[in-house]
Amino acid sequence: MEKKPEWLKVRYNQEAVNEVAELMKGLKLNTVCKEANCPNLGECYLKHTATFMLLGSICTRNCRFCNVPHGKPLPPDPEEPRHVAEAAKKMGLRHVVLTCATRDDLTDGGAEHFAKTIRAIREVSPGTTIETLISDMKLNTDALDVVMEARPEVLNHNVETVKELQKEVRPSAAYERSLDVLRYCKKKDPSVLTKTGFMVGLGETEEQIDRLLDDILETGCDILTIGQYLQPSKEHIPLARYASPEDFARYKEIALAKGFRHVASAPLARSSYKAWEALEDVHDLY
Amino acid sequence: MEKKIVMPKLRPEMKSGILCAWLKEEGEDVKAGEPLYEVETDKVVNQIEASESGVLEKQLYEEGDEVKALDPVAVIRM
Repeated sequence: MEKKPEWLKVRYNQEAVNEVAELMKGLKLNTVCKEANCPNLGECYLKHTATFMLLGSICTRNCRFCNVPHGKPLPPDPEEPRHVAEAAKKMGLRHVVLTCATRDDLTDGGAEHFAKTIRAIREVSPGTTIETLISDMKLNTDALDVVMEARPEVLNHNVETVKELQKEVRPSAAYERSLDVLRYCKKKDPSVLTKTGFMVGLGETEEQIDRLLDDILETGCDILTIGQYLQPSKEHIPLARYASPEDFARYKEIALAKGFRHVASAPLARSSYKAWEALEDVHDLY
Repeated sequence: MEKKIVMPKLRPEMKSGILCAWLKEEGEDVKAGEPLYEVETDKVVNQIEASESGVLEKQLYEEGDEVKALDPVAVIRM
């Protein structure tokens, strides 16, 4: 294993992790924090924040960067929307991020389940803002409409990497399709903030990143996250490089200059890490 | 009273972890929440916080040792 740079150190508090893990287990809920082996789990759980992973922890796709297991998923749990709302209330979350493994086996890609969960949270915790981090739902606009009509504050869908590396990194997805998801959702309801993110460290060049930023911005996207790719295991796509904190600061400067409204760019930035701060920052601009 | 600090299971499938650095010496005061030692995993280096305040009585492993998940790594006297 290559020696980790100084900036990839995270704090871990077992008690805080146990507390959130037990709440999730009690309500039969999954978090992407645990399933994706997120490096920020310790910090987020200590702050009592987590990202709910709807529709089970098994994915129908097999992206080469991702730690979420691939396989045949279970049918949706009809009680899950209510359980998520209950957990969000118990944890006192002011901002909830909902995501899911890609569910190509479901006709609507899980859209209705997202909508039900949004409505359940609104009912028990009306002051909580909601962010949906969705799959591309095969660009099924009926499915995307269902999510958008439930009116999350933020619609997030990750492009993950530059155009040139899409096939290698996420063979079942497509660059243009992901951009179209962002474009379609923005057009459908411009009052919903759109957000996307990508990783660096997969072998992309500076020019490719620059073109990626332009392509994302062209969809009308408001919020951007840029983080370091961290290889979950030897079986995953190899790490090409560790970008330095200075590199991330430069990407942020470039993205803001191009016109993004909020950019979180740091080695450990993740799509839902400190998601509330991004929303607050953009809302302050209104 | 003594309290044993164990190697956390940093992910469900973790069998063991490499204790890559001690951040406190034997005999040093430790406050709950302070980082006590580091464990390297595939993605990052985790600084494991002490769960109790007291004095680090004993380091049970040396830097570089592989420790089974949930095995004691240190003793804290409270």
